[in-house]
Amino acid sequence: MPVEAMASAVGTSTMEITVSKFELLRELTATQGVVERKTTIPILSNYLFEAAGDKLSLTATDLDLSLRTSCVAKVKKDGACTIPARKLHDYVKLLPDADITIKLLENHWVSIRCGRSNTKMVGMARSNFPSLPAFPTAGIIKIPAQVLRGMIAKTCFAIASEESRYTLNGALMVLKPESITMVATDGHRLAHIERSGEKFDGVSGEMKTLVPKKAMDELKSLLDSTDAESVDFAKDESTLYFRIGPRLMTSRQLTGQFPNYEAVLPKDNSKSITLHGEELSAAISRVAQFADERSRAVRLKLEKAELKLSASSTETGESEDSMETDYNGDALTIGFNAQYILDFLKAAGAGDVKLELKDAQSAGQLRPADSEDYKYRYIVMPMRI
Amino acid sequence: MGFSDFHGNSHVVQRLREMLAHSRFPQAVILAGPAGSGKYTLALMLAKALNCLSPTNSDGLPDFCERCSNCVRIAQSEDLRARFDEAVEARESLRETDRKETRLFVQTHPDVLVIPPDPPQMMVKVDQVRRVIETIYYRPGDAKERVYIFTDSAFMKEAANSLLKVLEEPPEFATIFLLTENSGELLPTIRSRCMTVALAALPAEEIEKYLAKRRPDWDAKQRALVARISEGAVGRSCNFDLETYIAARSQALTILRSALRGTEHSELFKVTETFRAGAEGREKTESLLRTTYSLLQDLMFLASGTPELIRNTDIGIELRKFAESCDFAWIAFAADRLNEVERGMRRNLLRSLSIDAFATALEKSS
Repeated sequence: MPVEAMASAVGTSTMEITVSKFELLRELTATQGVVERKTTIPILSNYLFEAAGDKLSLTATDLDLSLRTSCVAKVKKDGACTIPARKLHDYVKLLPDADITIKLLENHWVSIRCGRSNTKMVGMARSNFPSLPAFPTAGIIKIPAQVLRGMIAKTCFAIASEESRYTLNGALMVLKPESITMVATDGHRLAHIERSGEKFDGVSGEMKTLVPKKAMDELKSLLDSTDAESVDFAKDESTLYFRIGPRLMTSRQLTGQFPNYEAVLPKDNSKSITLHGEELSAAISRVAQFADERSRAVRLKLEKAELKLSASSTETGESEDSMETDYNGDALTIGFNAQYILDFLKAAGAGDVKLELKDAQSAGQLRPADSEDYKYRYIVMPMRI
Repeated sequence: MGFSDFHGNSHVVQRLREMLAHSRFPQAVILAGPAGSGKYTLALMLAKALNCLSPTNSDGLPDFCERCSNCVRIAQSEDLRARFDEAVEARESLRETDRKETRLFVQTHPDVLVIPPDPPQMMVKVDQVRRVIETIYYRPGDAKERVYIFTDSAFMKEAANSLLKVLEEPPEFATIFLLTENSGELLPTIRSRCMTVALAALPAEEIEKYLAKRRPDWDAKQRALVARISEGAVGRSCNFDLETYIAARSQALTILRSALRGTEHSELFKVTETFRAGAEGREKTESLLRTTYSLLQDLMFLASGTPELIRNTDIGIELRKFAESCDFAWIAFAADRLNEVERGMRRNLLRSLSIDAFATALEKSS
């Protein structure tokens, strides 16, 4: 053990705090997602607790992603310890609403007292806990929390989960002085959302960041449970930082070049129809029951004033639905993966959607008919049917 | 300290360090060499040298400091056996459902991942390789280079296949080490994507000298014996388990005796019966095969008039008796058959029957 680590181990061999169950449980729940369940590296299934001043900070990490949060506590003795994360969370959930006293004993044992309950758990040496990168002091960009949350919800479902295409395992966030864009694709479909009219200080030109899928998911759940107005974002060579109120999430950066998505955005899809989103979603769900299980292909047949949806498979039979439309162009038949369309309709929420097509071989574009502040579009490659 | 601690194969080490010096270290390296030849030690040393925060120089070539936070944390992986046991224990304490999906890893530094074969089958599994693929494209945090070390080349078939893509185009900041006793065991498509570095066996005299320093508790005779039977592997010699070896050898002797003397088979069957299925039986069979090879080699040395080369010096008299009753053709035949048994093991043939068949096939038709 190096000298510094030894010194800090000695220095942190005490800790005693009192914290309300409500506060502690809230932070434990917020960080559970980061704690690895299936790991054989014992320290990663532990929380790092650090007490100083009137604050308890909790840290969880899986080495790629880490989350640090804090809550108010009565600190009797400054110090730090590690505690098995799952067990602690499960146990604290069951405690009555009262103050909890956490005290570090010898040999990394930790005592947890609450009312008439008394528990001891064994943690590990604090020095084993991986060190976390510190939040940069410069180059911080403020992003409105609800804007970021909406953009993540509208794109993250399109991120690839295929391991072989690693640059698609994240979403691209493009910041410009007056706009923010988020793009995600898995090679078959692409979700693109842009919001202009914002003001981002400290951004000049174009700042592109690839945000890993895991970070997107975690960020979304953090944003769901916050009332903070804005997110502080920063990055350095290896790490991305998102600070939401008292919580700081850091993620390692993915390498690689995000594909040139601008080239695939359709420009001359002249055949456009407006449909009711929920009706379309219901119709596709029905028809898709009879689609081929592997390809999930449904056929869309555009005729005058009518859209016919159909699917068939040799095993289950065939099904057809039709919807009224305002269409009066040439007839066109095109195939799409039902799931891809449903994913979009779910993310787009209630309201009318516009389906814009060119021909049976070209990508189709879907977007909300009345997108006010956001430019949201979704591009799906057609299927041969 | 540093690379000077690595014993033997100095030209290989030097070549690797020259590559480091020119920043031309390959992204995928197969380190091949017999058990105990220092593959893992060397891989960790290279991982340290790649990531050392205050790199030093020795003999004009890059070295590492062993004191910076990167070196210290990587060094915690050195005792692989202990880390492996900890990981197994950690898995045992998981919930039943999680346990099944959990694979073993050793990671004492966030950017250096050691992938041991997963028990109970002791094979590298596809989920382990998936983890490598999932994490390798993340930029290193504390280090300069992400290092992945596969400690064994016993890959499940899908695992080996899924490794191909990442071996072919790893990110510029990652290095993958594949350690193997026999690089022929790896898929040709894996081999063609890696640079193979072989660690050769050391001469017995050199190991004897090394043992004199490292194991003063052993007497000279024991050191001489171990130096010979450890087949030129330094690491193996230094922690040589003589008892296990002698147990395996006495079984091998029983087999040869029954073949050469043509006694009845009850004794033979008593021995072969103990080779059961499972990882434990595999280890036992492997050590039996290895000792049988070494005995056959000794017999050949005796038969061809170079008795000074024999390894099992402690049973020279018995070997000499054996040697009188066999000729070169028989030894060659036996080695051939043994090779077949070994191949059969890879196809999961029943162990005890294969060894029975081997022993009876060797019997001299008298």
